[in-house]
This record gives sequence, structure tokens and C-alpha cells, in this order.
Amino acid sequence: MMTNFKSLSLLLCGATLFFAGCSKEEQAVAPTIANESLTTVVLNLTNQADVSDTTSCRYKYYFDNSGNVKSSDSTVLKLKANAKYNVVVNIYDEQQTPVFNVGNEIRERQNYHLLFFQPTPISSANLITGNTSPYIPGTLTSSKGPYLNLAVSRTDRDTNSPALEVGLTDLFTTGAASTGNLEVILRHQPNAKNGTFAPGSTDLDVNFKVAIN
Amino acid sequence: MYQTLIKSSLFSLLLLLATNLLYAQNNHEQVGEYLITGSVTNLSTHLALVGANLSLSVPSSATHSDQNGNYKFSVKQGIYHLKCDFIGYIPLDTLVQVNSNVVLNLSLTISQQNLKEVKVKGTGSPKEIATQSLSILEGEQLDHTRGFSLGESLKSITGVTTFQTGPSIAKPIIHGLYSNRIMILNNGVRLEAQQWGSEHAPEIDPFIANRLEVIKGAASIRYGSDAIGGVILAEPKALPKNPGMDGEINAIGMSNSRLGAFSGMLEGAFDKKLTGLSYRLQGTFKIAGNSSTPNYLLANTGLREQDGSAAVQYHHKNYGFEAYYSVFDTKLGIFQGAEVGSIADLKLAIKQPEPLTPSFFTYAIDRPYQTVNHQTLKLNSFYNFENGSKLRFQFANQTNTREEYDFLPLNGRINPELYLKINTQTADINYEHKDLGNFSGSFGFNGITQGNIRKYEYLIPNYRNYGGGAYFIEKYTHGNLLLEAGLRYDYRWLRAYKLNNNTALIETPTTHYQSASYTIGTTYSITDALKLSGNYSSAFRAPTVNELYSNGIHQSLVSYEIGNPDLHTERANNFNINLDYTTSRLLINVQAYYNSINNFIFANPTNQYTRTVRGPALVFNYTQADVYFRGLDFNLILKPVDSLELNSKTSLIYAYNKTIHDYLIYTPPSRFQNSIGYHFGNLSGLKRIFFSVEDVYVSKQSRVPVGQDYVLPPACYNLINLQLSFRVNYLHNYGDVSFAVNNLTNTAYRDYLDRFRYFTDEPGRNFIVRLKVPFKISKTTHTNR
Repeated sequence: MMTNFKSLSLLLCGATLFFAGCSKEEQAVAPTIANESLTTVVLNLTNQADVSDTTSCRYKYYFDNSGNVKSSDSTVLKLKANAKYNVVVNIYDEQQTPVFNVGNEIRERQNYHLLFFQPTPISSANLITGNTSPYIPGTLTSSKGPYLNLAVSRTDRDTNSPALEVGLTDLFTTGAASTGNLEVILRHQPNAKNGTFAPGSTDLDVNFKVAIN
Repeated sequence: MYQTLIKSSLFSLLLLLATNLLYAQNNHEQVGEYLITGSVTNLSTHLALVGANLSLSVPSSATHSDQNGNYKFSVKQGIYHLKCDFIGYIPLDTLVQVNSNVVLNLSLTISQQNLKEVKVKGTGSPKEIATQSLSILEGEQLDHTRGFSLGESLKSITGVTTFQTGPSIAKPIIHGLYSNRIMILNNGVRLEAQQWGSEHAPEIDPFIANRLEVIKGAASIRYGSDAIGGVILAEPKALPKNPGMDGEINAIGMSNSRLGAFSGMLEGAFDKKLTGLSYRLQGTFKIAGNSSTPNYLLANTGLREQDGSAAVQYHHKNYGFEAYYSVFDTKLGIFQGAEVGSIADLKLAIKQPEPLTPSFFTYAIDRPYQTVNHQTLKLNSFYNFENGSKLRFQFANQTNTREEYDFLPLNGRINPELYLKINTQTADINYEHKDLGNFSGSFGFNGITQGNIRKYEYLIPNYRNYGGGAYFIEKYTHGNLLLEAGLRYDYRWLRAYKLNNNTALIETPTTHYQSASYTIGTTYSITDALKLSGNYSSAFRAPTVNELYSNGIHQSLVSYEIGNPDLHTERANNFNINLDYTTSRLLINVQAYYNSINNFIFANPTNQYTRTVRGPALVFNYTQADVYFRGLDFNLILKPVDSLELNSKTSLIYAYNKTIHDYLIYTPPSRFQNSIGYHFGNLSGLKRIFFSVEDVYVSKQSRVPVGQDYVLPPACYNLINLQLSFRVNYLHNYGDVSFAVNNLTNTAYRDYLDRFRYFTDEPGRNFIVRLKVPFKISKTTHTNR
């Protein structure tokens, strides 16, 4: 019986040591790394009528140490009236050093991605939806204006069969002077891209102020 | 003797006509052989029992009673061990001396156990609270759930259902409570993982258990302060005592998801110098591909699971030691159509009648997926004192590693989005004092420490948790009356380690909680068949780390959850009344409960949205309110004749938030399960043929809080399940085979407590084959049922 108590107390001691000697690994806190941190969107525009006439706008998210959006800032997109612009969409992850060019990655995986551009306010007549529309179904339309006189069409295609648009390069066509917003949404549509908005989920959603003068 | 011979010839004739030819071929008489003949009857009704199993030892032979209840063996002179068993009856075991023809009529008594497929224990062993409701799933009832997850397996118990995230992730719900409010014990070790997550299923291989027990109600006294909803115990069978080695193989195939599950077990005990030493090795492999609903397949819903366990035990006269190690390892695909980035995505997905993801079958698991590895080491020992007192000690170490992978990110990183590793040590000491007159009881101590580490995304912080509890339970038994009372005190210290959101310095917010739990109950046996129990338990639960320090998006429901470091403990006041009526023909079990929880912690949706890169997400704040759950579990089993069994189960629950005067979200709707089963006895080489039809009706949950959900609860649904099982004898062993069809009519439905109801239907028709083969390698260690 004594030996049993001995083994019992040995077990107890072992356990106590285990408790006391447990690692303190938790005291070193690993930094927060949000995998999908697309921090910055830059639209670079070139006037088709004058290649030296370029403009751009930028939307940038800032994150706190928990990986949540702390704040954001954006610059206004200033366009000339009644003009056509060639647009290149650049997306960056500025939390990485060096800055990671997400746009190149989207180009690599273009068959899974589709960009949407939604000028607002827009009239119901101009909100064309369909398999090749860059506009977002369900957008609130305005019946009496004033409207943002901006039309968007995508100019690049992926390697799906049949090829579908991507939206990393686009054509913006402006009308008369007006102001409004441009929402840019990147849809992630793995194995499901069909040209429409619905499949998949949103990877990025930003909103620019637009002034057409 | 002449008469007997004539009689037996007549029986042989009947047998020849009634049963198979195989039997008859063995029926020829040889010189020098005698006959053991007789009938098998029900002791009380004197009616013949058809298809009872009869076996003789050395030389072993087996037969079964014919349609008139008669049997016959032809044997040489000698002493034989005759065994007779029939489902639902107490088996008979007798020695027969043969030196002439013998007539031996056997009368079997109905087993009181046969009706208690889900037994409700009365004055049970001291390890649980005797006056609380304990439901047990074992034997054939458990065999019929093989291949399903732990949560899914328990659904046949009234008052228990599941909170699901698609077809592969199911968490058990007891009386409306789940996650941190119920405790799961895996072979006596409280499972410690990331159990707060609604899509984190318990890391337990049901194949390790030959018994699943559910305590419905606040069972904190014995098991720890968190168990305010109930306790689930997965209990392996005891290690063998008799020398020898045997094993068991289980194989399961399911048509839906083309699931294959294989489990093997080997166990044995030594003799001579090693008497008292026994062991068991067990392993499970499970694979499934995409599940299919009646109209489409669900992309990326496959799973892989590899589990193993090893146990070794040494028992001496009054002391013993056991070491146990288990590993559970799984990879679960997450349905791609359920991945949403923003509220807009979620609303868009809800609008689609079916998901827009490709619909094809594959076993391959693509991103998103989660992997979980859970390892448990348990050491325990006991000492039984000569005066009847018992001392038990247990130490366990668990490591749970969880990695959650989202879609491959655009920045090219291949690491998981979320990595959590939690390491837990627990120690338990229990002393059961010798009976003092009418008093019996125990006291003990539970200690726990755990450390949690996170990497990549922030959802919960790193933390260190220390907890300790001491309890004392005493019972008084006098005649038909049992009284019991228990008291417990718990202390918890929790320190989080996290980065300050702005300064990037490490913060160490620390909380500590302490409180008492108590229980008082009584059981009165009005007659042998009728028993009434009442129990009141008061228990508390300290806020968990996610409730205190969450700060981030739960991608699953685009909910941005913000913890509240100022939360108080929640307190449950739980009233239970149990009524049991058990006779050989009828079993009735009714449990009525009222569980009032003050300062109930929950994530409350605000009307605010927060911005994420992917769009707006709804903000949820952890807050507290006074709520109550009340309900009724009803189970009736009727056996109008021995072979026919009617089973009716009803689970009703009503939950209300007294603070905001509204219902509680995610309360299980009313559930009705009715089945009819028939024991066909034996036919040809098939024994114990049993066929049953089950109807499961789940009503629509109409009591939902205003404005807390994105969509109204789904409609009611009705499912029909079939089951056919039988036993095949071969050589000296047997195999149990069962065929089942779940959702026979291929009904398309959605379940309120499945998060996937926003996106997809539940799985459709499922054909299931189950095979269980016990085998012996050397000597008989123990007889299988």
C-alpha cells in the first residue's frame, strides 16, 4: 500500500512540475497578418485625344494592429468633359515590403476575376446590365438627375472559352460636366466566372469621388 | 425415451419444412450420438420464442429455435455448456450432462433493459449526479449511427440536436445550449479546443466510444463550471480482463458524398506474470467527397479524417494505472458557395435559389478548408481502500492545432489565414468515501491550465488560463427515496497577450472570476416501474476569451464581432423534473426543464456597419441579458408484442430574452421522431433480422427575434429513414450488417440550425451500408453480446 501511495505522489509531483514548467509561448505575440490585404487602388487614365494628358486617382485603406480597417483616404478623379480615357487599374498591397503588385496577380488569375465599375447617380436607362456590362445589378437609379455623365467599358479579355472580360484595362467616356461617385468592385469567381456579377464573392470594394469639368 | 425420440423426429420434420435445408442436412443422426432437445418459451406468457440463438461449447455448434420455439442438438456423451439468448431477454447459461437423450425446456425472462434503448439511470454510480437526466446511446442504437460525426450521432436523443455548418461540421446542442455551455468528455478528459467557434466541431472520433452519455441540464458540480447546458461523455468500453486477444472491424459506406469509413480495433490482456495488464489499439480512417442535395452537388465539401488511439492498463487487486493516447486529425473542405466577403455578397447569395458554384463530384479538397489536429495524453490511477473508499487521480495533456485556409490570396501567401494552437493540462482528483450508513458521496478537485497561441489573422488573442475547482457531493438513500446535494467552488484567472491596436505594444488584460455552484435533488421510486426525480442546479460560467477580446470579422457570416472585457459571469438556475415508467411492454420518459440564465452572454447585432476592404460588415457586440429556456423531452417506447417496437420522441423548447422582451435566436424548433420496428427473428443464415421505418418531423421555427437575421427561418420538413439489420454467423464469429436509407423521398429542405441554410439545401437521399465484424485472435477474452 505504501508503494501505491508513493507512485500516486510521484504522479502528483510529475503533474505539478508539468504545470509549473509549462511553456510561456503565449507571451510572444505574433504580428497580425491579414492575408487578403489589398490596401491600395490606383486608376491611371490617359486621354485618347492627348497622350500627355494623364490623370489618376487613389484609394488607400489603413489598418490597425488587429488587421481591421482603421481609416481610408482617397483622391478625387478629375476628368475632362466629352473625352475618352484609356484606364489601367493598379492594385497594391502596401503592407508588404516591397509593395506587392496585386494587379499582376489578378492578371495571372484573370479567369477567376472580374472588375465592376459603377458610376452614380445614374438613370435607369443608362444602367445596362447583362453579360458584358461593367455595371452592378441592383444599383439604385435616380429618376431626375443630375447624373454623373460617365460611361465605362472594359477593354481586356481573359483566356476562358469563350473569352470573358476582366476590367484591368478600360475605356471611360465622359459627357457633359457633372459630379458623382465611381464604385469599383473586384469579384472573385473561382470556377464560376460567367461575365455576370452574381457568382463568387467580393475581394475589394472602393468608392471614388468623380468630377467632370 | 421412445416418446422423446418420436417427438424429436416430429420436430425435425417441422424444422425441415419450416426452416432451411442447411440445417436439415446437419440433422442426420449418427451412431453413439444423443439428442438434446427442448423448447424456448417466454417465462411469463409461456409463448414460444422463434429464432432464439442456442450454442454449445466444445465442440462448438450453434442453432436457433424453430417456428414452434423448439431446438435440437445431436452430441456425443459428455458435459456441455449450453447458452441461449434472444434479443430483449436475459440470456441463459447452463451445463448439460449427456449420457442419454435429454429434453431441456428453456424459459427466458424479458430483460428490463430491452426497452431502455435510451436508458435513464436511476440511482447511478457516484460519478454523476443521480437525480439528473442521463441518456445513454450504446449497442445497436450506437451502431446505427456509425460513420456520422459525434454531433450527428447524438440526434437520436430527445432534447439534443446540432448546430451545423454544412454537411461535415456539426456541434451538439443540449436543451438549446451549445459551444462553451456544454462540456464534452473524451474518455474522461474534458475536451479543450477552440470550442467557442460555431464552425468548430468537437474533435472526437465516435469509434473510440462504445457508449455516448448525455447529461441534460446544468451538470457543473462534478465536471466544471462551464457545463451549464449539459455534458456529453464519450466512453470507450472497459479494457479486457481475461487473457487473450481479439478485435473488431467496422466498415461504412454512404452513397451521398461517397463516404467511406473504416475503423479497426485490437485489444487483449495478458496472463501468468503479466496478469492484470491489458491494452487496446484503435484506428479510424474516413474519406468523403462532395455532398449532394436533391438538385445539385456542393462544391468542396469533402473531408478526410485519420484517428488513432492506444491504451494500456494495469489492474491489481485494489489499485491500477492507465495510460491513454489519442490523435484526431481532420481536413474539412468549406463549401465555396458559402464564402461571402460582404453583407452585399450574403444578400446576393440568399437571393439565389441555388448556389452558383460548379456542381460535380470529387474527393479533392480545395481552398477554403480547415485542418485540425487534436492530441490527448491521459494518465490515471486509482486506489480502492479496504474499507470501501476509492481514490482516483487523472492527469491529461491536450494539444489542439487549428488552421483555417481561405481562398488563395492575391498576394501569393500560402500560409493559413488563421492559426490557433491551444495546449491544455488538466488534473482531477476524486475521493469517494465509504458508505456511512445511508450516506454515500465523494469530493474532489479539478485543475486546469492552458496556453493559446495565434498567428496571422487576429480573431482571439494569445492567452494563459488557470482554473481550479473543488466539489463535494453527498447522497442519502432510504428505501425508495434518494436525496442528494452538491457544492462546488471555482476560480479562474485569465490573462490575454495582445497588441495594442495603435501603439503595437503588448497589452496583458487580466480577469479573474470566482463563484460557487450547487445542486440539490431527489428521486422517489413510487413503484418498481415508476420513478420521479427532481433536481435544482445553480451553476455559473465565466466569460471566455472570444467573448472578452474578439475583434475581427467572422468570415462565415460577415459578422464583425467585438468582445467586451467588462463582461460578468453568467448564472444558470436550472430546474428539472423527470418521470420514468418502465415495464417490459412500455417505457415512458418525460423530462420537463426550466433553465433561467442571468447575464447570458451573446453577440448582439447592432445596426452599425464597419468597413472592410471587401465592403461593409455588420457589427456584433458581446453583451449580456437575462434569458430562459424551457422545454419538454418526451420518449415513449411501446412493445405490444415481443417482435414489434414503436418509438416516439418529442423535443419541445422555448427560449426567451427577458431583457429585450424577444425570442432568442438559433433556438431549435420542435422535433418529432417516430419509428416502428419489427424483429423478424432468423431467416435462413440471417439472424436477428430487424427492420424499422423512422419519420422525423421538424417544425418551422416561428419564434425568432425581430431584425436579427438576414432571412426568415426555413419551412418545416419531414424525412423518412429506413433501416434493415441482421447478423450473419461464420465459423465461430459473427458479422453485423445493416442497410439504411436516410431521406428516402429525397426531400429538399433547409434546417434552421444549419448556417448553410442561407446558401443551400440539406443533403438528399443517402444509402448507407454498415458492417461490423468482431473477431478473436487467441483464446476467448470475453464474449460479445
